[in-house]
Amino acid sequence: MDLFMNLALNGLATGMLIFLLAAGLTLIFGLMDVLNFAHGGLFAWGAYSGLWIYSKTDSFLIGIIGAIVTGFILGIVTEKWIIKPVYGNHVQQILITLGLMMVLSEMLKVIWGPNQLTASPPDYLKGSWEIGEINLIKYRVFIIIVGLLVFAGVQFMLKKTKIGLVVQAGVMNKEMVQALGINIQRVFMFVFMIGAGMAALGGVLLGPYSGVIHAGMGMEFAILAFIVVVIGGMGNFKGSVLAAILVGLSGSFMAYYVPDLSLAVNMLLMAVVLIIRPQGLFSAKG
Amino acid sequence: MNKFADKRPAIIFLLFILLLFLLPFVYESRNLLILLTQIFIFSIFAMSYDLLIGFTGIVSFGHAMYFGLGSYSIGIFMKRFEPDMTYFLWAVLTTIALTAIVSFIVGLLTLRLKSHFYAMLTMSLAGLFLVLAEKWRTLTFGNDGFTFRVPELFIDRTNFYLLCLIGMAAVFFGLRRFVNSPLGRVLQAIRENEQRTASLGFQVLHYKIAASVVSGVLAGIAGILYAISLRYVNTSVFSMDITLDALLMTIIGGVGTLAGPIIGAGIIEFAHDWLTGLAKEHWIFERWIIFFGIIYILVVMFFPQGIVGTLRKIAWKRKKKSYPVKSEQKAAG
Repeated sequence: MDLFMNLALNGLATGMLIFLLAAGLTLIFGLMDVLNFAHGGLFAWGAYSGLWIYSKTDSFLIGIIGAIVTGFILGIVTEKWIIKPVYGNHVQQILITLGLMMVLSEMLKVIWGPNQLTASPPDYLKGSWEIGEINLIKYRVFIIIVGLLVFAGVQFMLKKTKIGLVVQAGVMNKEMVQALGINIQRVFMFVFMIGAGMAALGGVLLGPYSGVIHAGMGMEFAILAFIVVVIGGMGNFKGSVLAAILVGLSGSFMAYYVPDLSLAVNMLLMAVVLIIRPQGLFSAKG
Repeated sequence: MNKFADKRPAIIFLLFILLLFLLPFVYESRNLLILLTQIFIFSIFAMSYDLLIGFTGIVSFGHAMYFGLGSYSIGIFMKRFEPDMTYFLWAVLTTIALTAIVSFIVGLLTLRLKSHFYAMLTMSLAGLFLVLAEKWRTLTFGNDGFTFRVPELFIDRTNFYLLCLIGMAAVFFGLRRFVNSPLGRVLQAIRENEQRTASLGFQVLHYKIAASVVSGVLAGIAGILYAISLRYVNTSVFSMDITLDALLMTIIGGVGTLAGPIIGAGIIEFAHDWLTGLAKEHWIFERWIIFFGIIYILVVMFFPQGIVGTLRKIAWKRKKKSYPVKSEQKAAG
């Protein structure tokens, strides 16, 4: 039971981190029809900048906020300078965002050196709670809570606010939204900013969770996030959280029982989904 | 595109090859020889990549998997069996078979998808091969890799240089034939307008798979040569960096042309060599890829046709027929 709970908790925490990355990807894709290959780079930038601020100020909270702000800034710059000039051309978008990914991860090495950095959670999130036989590691619970809060927050924004309404309408029909006199470019930038901020948040949370961060981790998590986005359905926000939990759990259980196959299982899942249901497992439209 | 009918580029290229062929006999420099060998190998790889991205309009981010399959095939054959020509040929045949099968399956599964999905899926598949090579330690020795002996004929650097040069020339002329064949014309039609090609009655998927298989096999051959040149293979042959190299060379050199990838490979390899030399003076040059990343982004944004394509456009505008295969001058700069 203890083992099962531990694996489940681990899977959920990883799932939440993947969700933070995949949610931005799927929103950006749904609204702007851009698949951002540089999203993993934003994730890694969140991790490095957040932990750097954390180490300077000794406050994990300020570190997290710093990471999110970094994400916002990078998101705006990326949208304005990199994505906007190539709207509408898929091949160019794919190529340019991959180039940005390359530059972002090399920049990390230039600024913080090529070696991996260690990170540990702040004192109040160290250790674990013991409930009966079950051992709950505090930091994992914290990640899960943050993930759920972000999910609830974005869900609230999408459903209950005006900008959320515009975003949802934009996913359905961009031209119509524009025809109704809404500046869709501003909405694009907003969504890109939010997506980048979520990715950066995921990155900074990952640091103390895995203990080390390195420039290549953006790519590793980006691949998982792509799998999640495909399984959940491109542009489907609710699907992405379910798929992220699925991928996180299957990864954590597989890593324990058949470690060599853990990535392969997720890949296989994605291949099957792409062949049988290319619109995603959780997509409402049949 | 009538430019292909023109015989002049082929003659210039042939002269260029002849010059390079004579080089090792008149100029003794081991370093230059090794560098040029690398350029030839990566030219083959980049041309195979250009067949997908430039001629068919498919963006693959997993090209390293074919490269790696070739490298590991030759490595394992040379390590497990005798390093002689018989087993070299066996390794080549294995590579061709493996890359053909893998690229066929990958193409069958993924090429019906939109470009985003294809790029994403090939990227993940290459990641899967990387993990496989790391985990299957009994065969691949994991991340550490292994060294192996090569057939006697290839021990001499000059011989191997000539082999790679001939290989590059063969691939260049072979692909030239290929892209000008009826099949290649259909591929270019798919690049220009997929729906229209389909509505003309062509089975787009079949053509795309054919391009993917040819490209995969050639990438595998480049992988073989690469492993022989290092006499060592490890998991880095499956890494994203290899795909990125091909991407940089093709995009900067010029997509949709065959001279482009060769020029791109020349520029990148020479610059790599030069910048790593500069790393002694300032550490930032160790991160040389960042300069190319920025150049690459600018090229995608402003000169999506790369060096060769842009020069060609200028030449057309002036209504003069000139074909830019002057890679040596540009590469040195």
